[in-house]
Amino acid sequence: MTATQRPAAPQAGPILELDGLGVVFTTESGEVPAVRGVSLHVAPGETLALVGESGSGKSTIALAAMGLLTGNARATGSAVIAGTQVVGARESDLAALRGRTASMVFQEPATALDPLTRVGRQIAEVIRNHRDVSAKEAATEAVALLRKVGIPEPEKRAAAYPFQLSGGQRQRVVIAMAIANDPALLIADEPTTALDVTVQAEILDLLRRLAAETGTGVLLVTHNMGVVADFADRVAVMYHGEIVETGPVEDVLLRPSHDYTRRLLGAVPRLSVAEADKAAPAAAAEAPDTEPVAELRDVSVVFGRGKNAVRALDGVSLAVHPGQTLGLVGESGSGKSTASRVALGLIAPTSGTVSLFGTDLGRARSRARRALRAGIGVVLQDPVASLDARMTVGECVAEPLRVHQKGLSAKDRRSKVAAILDRVRLPRELADRAPRELSGGQRQRVSLARALVLEPRLLVADEPTSALDVSVQQAVLEVISELQDELGFACLFVSHDLAVVQHFAQRVVVLRGGRIQEQGPTGETLLHPETDYTRGLLAAVPVPDPVVQRGRRAERLAALAAGRTEVQA
Amino acid sequence: MSTSSYLLRRVLQAVVVIVIVTIVVFGLLHALPGGPARGILGPQATAQQITAFNHDQGLDKPLPVQYFYYLNQLVHGDLGTSYTLNEPVSQLITERLPKTLLLTVLSAVVGLVLAIPLGMWQAMRRNKPADYVITTLSFIAYSTPVYFLGLVLVLVFSQTLSWFPSQAPQGDTLAQVFAEPQALVLPVVAGAASMIAVFSRYMRAATLENLSEDYVRTARAGGSRSRAILWRHVFRNSLTPVVAMLGYYVPVLFGGALVVEQLFNYPGMGLLFWTAAQSSDYPVLLGCVLVIAIATVTGTLLADIVQRVIDPRVKAGRA
Repeated sequence: MTATQRPAAPQAGPILELDGLGVVFTTESGEVPAVRGVSLHVAPGETLALVGESGSGKSTIALAAMGLLTGNARATGSAVIAGTQVVGARESDLAALRGRTASMVFQEPATALDPLTRVGRQIAEVIRNHRDVSAKEAATEAVALLRKVGIPEPEKRAAAYPFQLSGGQRQRVVIAMAIANDPALLIADEPTTALDVTVQAEILDLLRRLAAETGTGVLLVTHNMGVVADFADRVAVMYHGEIVETGPVEDVLLRPSHDYTRRLLGAVPRLSVAEADKAAPAAAAEAPDTEPVAELRDVSVVFGRGKNAVRALDGVSLAVHPGQTLGLVGESGSGKSTASRVALGLIAPTSGTVSLFGTDLGRARSRARRALRAGIGVVLQDPVASLDARMTVGECVAEPLRVHQKGLSAKDRRSKVAAILDRVRLPRELADRAPRELSGGQRQRVSLARALVLEPRLLVADEPTSALDVSVQQAVLEVISELQDELGFACLFVSHDLAVVQHFAQRVVVLRGGRIQEQGPTGETLLHPETDYTRGLLAAVPVPDPVVQRGRRAERLAALAAGRTEVQA
Repeated sequence: MSTSSYLLRRVLQAVVVIVIVTIVVFGLLHALPGGPARGILGPQATAQQITAFNHDQGLDKPLPVQYFYYLNQLVHGDLGTSYTLNEPVSQLITERLPKTLLLTVLSAVVGLVLAIPLGMWQAMRRNKPADYVITTLSFIAYSTPVYFLGLVLVLVFSQTLSWFPSQAPQGDTLAQVFAEPQALVLPVVAGAASMIAVFSRYMRAATLENLSEDYVRTARAGGSRSRAILWRHVFRNSLTPVVAMLGYYVPVLFGGALVVEQLFNYPGMGLLFWTAAQSSDYPVLLGCVLVIAIATVTGTLLADIVQRVIDPRVKAGRA
C-alpha cells in the first residue's frame, strides 16, 4: 500500500469495545433475544476468538459490530469501533467506517462476491469508497492487493469473474477487499469453515501475517477449536447469547474454568499425532478375511466428453467388510463423494466393476439392483435438505418400508418406525412432527433412522456430521457406532475431517484428484502416513492445543519451506 | 463452447423448431371443419364448383402431399396466394409486419422501461404501502383481458376525455403511422399494460432475492452505499432472469397484438390473421404462423445471447 495512507491508528484504547451489547430478533413468534449483555474488547494487534456452537450468537455479534444486522434485528447497548458508536448510528456514518476502519471477511467465499463483476473491480470499489483515487490507480492497487494475498498472476486474475476462481482464491479476494484500506479492525466470521484443511492453513497464515504487519486487531468468530489454538491470543466462549468465559487462549483451551467450555472441548475430536496406536479402534488392524459387503475394483468415472471430460475417479479399488467402518478422506474434488455414489449404484463406473453383497452391479437387472439397494442405508450431509419438508418424521422413516416391503401392514410399519426411533435415541412422539421442528442433530438422527429401518448390511454416510456442532456430532457418531456393534452393518464413511475418521473408522482410504493416495488401517495410515500428501494433509489440521499447535505450525512451515527450496534446487 | 459454434447450433435448432411448428399448424388447420371453398365461393356455389376449386388449389390431395408442395414453395420464397384477398401472402406480410413490429416493439419498450424501475422501486419499499398499492394494480392489470382494458381505455380517454383518438393510425406506411403519434398511445398502452404488470413482478422478485445475497453484505462491509450497491451489483444480477423471461414473452406480445389491432382497427399482422381465420384462408394463416414462430425463436435466441453477454457464467456453462 502507498505511504500517503493513514497509518493503522496506533491508539491507546481498544479498537473494538462492546459494552452490554444485546441483539433481539423480531420473528413471527415474537421477540427472540440472540445476544444478551455481551462486553468484550479487542486491542490493536491482538486476536480475540469468539467461539461457540451454532445459535450461540457469535456471528450476530460480528454483524452487530459492523452495523450489518438484518432489518428484523435490533441492537441495544454499546459497540464502539475506534471511538465511533455503531449501535444506532446513521447508515451513512457506518458506510464511512466500513471497509476503512473496520472490515469483515465472511464464511462463504462462494457467494460473498458479486458473480457478474470482475474481482479487480470489486476490490477497486472498496478502495474508491474511501479514497479519492482515479479508477486507474484503484485498479493498479487492486492488482497489488491480489499479489499481497497470494493470488498467482494477479494482473490476469484481476479480470477474472469469481466463478473462475477456486474457493480458496475467492476467500483471498474477499480478504484483499477487507485489507484494501488498511483497517484497524478485521472481523472474520468463520473465514475458513468452507475451505479444505490445507487451504484453511494457508488462509490462516495469510490473515496472521497481514494482521501482524499492520497491527490490525482481529475478532475471529469460529466454532473450530483448532483454528482458535492456531490463531487467537485471547478467547471468549459464547453460550446461549452470553459470554461464559474469557481469557488468554492457553488458559481457556487447556485449563477451562467454565463447565460449558469443558464440555465443548471434551466433545472436540482430537487428531492423535504420531504416538502409539491408542486412538485407533483396536478392532481390526489387518483386513478381515470376510467377504466384502461392497467392493470397487479398478473403478474409473469420467464425467463429460471430449476436452471437457473430467476424470472424477481413476483406478480406485476398495472394499468394505461387514461390521467394519471404512473412512474415505480427501479434500474437495478428490472424488470421495463420487466413490460413495458409485458404491450406491447411483453413478455407473466408466470402467471397472462394482459389486454389492457379492453381486456385480453392472450385470444385475434393474429389479435385482433395486433389491440390492434395499440392503444399503444412506445418510447425507445436509440434515435440512435430505428430509422432505412436507412429510412427518414418521413418514420419512417409513418411506423405505413402503418401497421395499410393500406387504407390510400399516401397524407393523408404525411399530418398526417406533422401534428404530428408539434405537437412534429419539423420542417416539417425534414421529408426528415435521422435520423443520427438529434441531440439526435430531434431524440427522431421523436420517439415520430412515437409513437403518430396513436393517441394511451397508451404511453409506457422506459427511454425516459436517453440518453439526461438535457436541451433537459426538452424539450422532456414538449412535452410529453403537448400532453398528448391535446390527453388524458395514459402514462407508465419507469425511473431510481427519480427526473424526481417526476415531471412527478402522480402515481409511486417502483420495486425491480421483486416485487413491494410500490406504490401510487408520491407526497406521493416519499416524505414520507413507505419502507426502497425507503427511501434508495431517500437518494442516490445527489441533485444539495452542502449545502443540504452535509447534505443528512451525514444523509445517519449515517443511513447506524445505519443499520449496528442494523444488528450486 | 465458442460463440460461433454456439450460434450455429442454436440457429439450426431454431430451423428445426420452425419446421415442426409449420407441420403442426398445417395439420391443425386442415383438421378444422369446413373449408375455404364455401367461404370464398359463397353459399350459392354448387358441389361441382367446390370440387373444382379444391382441385385447382390442390386441396383434394393427401395432406402430406399438400404439405410437401407447401414446403417446396416455401423454400423458393413463395408463401402462396390469399384465397380471399387475391394477393401473394408474402406481399401481405411485408406490408403489415412492420406495423405490427412497430406496435409490439413500442409496447415492449414502454412496458420494460416502466416495469424494471418500478419493480426495483417496489423491492426497495418491500411491504410498505406503496408496494402494496402497486402490487394490487399489477394484479388488476395482469388479470384484465386486453380487449376489456382496450375498451375501458377507449371509453375513458377517447369518448369521455377526448385526449386520444379511438382508432389507431390508418396509414399504409410507417411514415404515415408516425404522422399521428397521438393515435398510437392507446394501442401501445393496451399492449404494454400486462407487460408492465408481469415484468415489474419479475423484477421485484429478482431484486429482492439479490438484495438478500451475500455479495450485497460484502459490498456493504466494504463501505459501499445502498444506491451504489443497487445499481452496480443488484441491478445487473436481477436483470439476467428477466431477460430470459423476455424471450418467452414474444408470442404473448404477438397474441396481444392480435386483439389490440382488432380493437383499434390497426391494419397489421394481427388484423390480417383475424380476418384470415374467419375465412379459413390457409395460405395467409400459415404465413402468419410462420412469421410468429420465427419471431418467437428469434426472441428466445436473442434473449439467450444477451444472457451470454451479461452473465459470463452462462458462456462458461456454469449457470
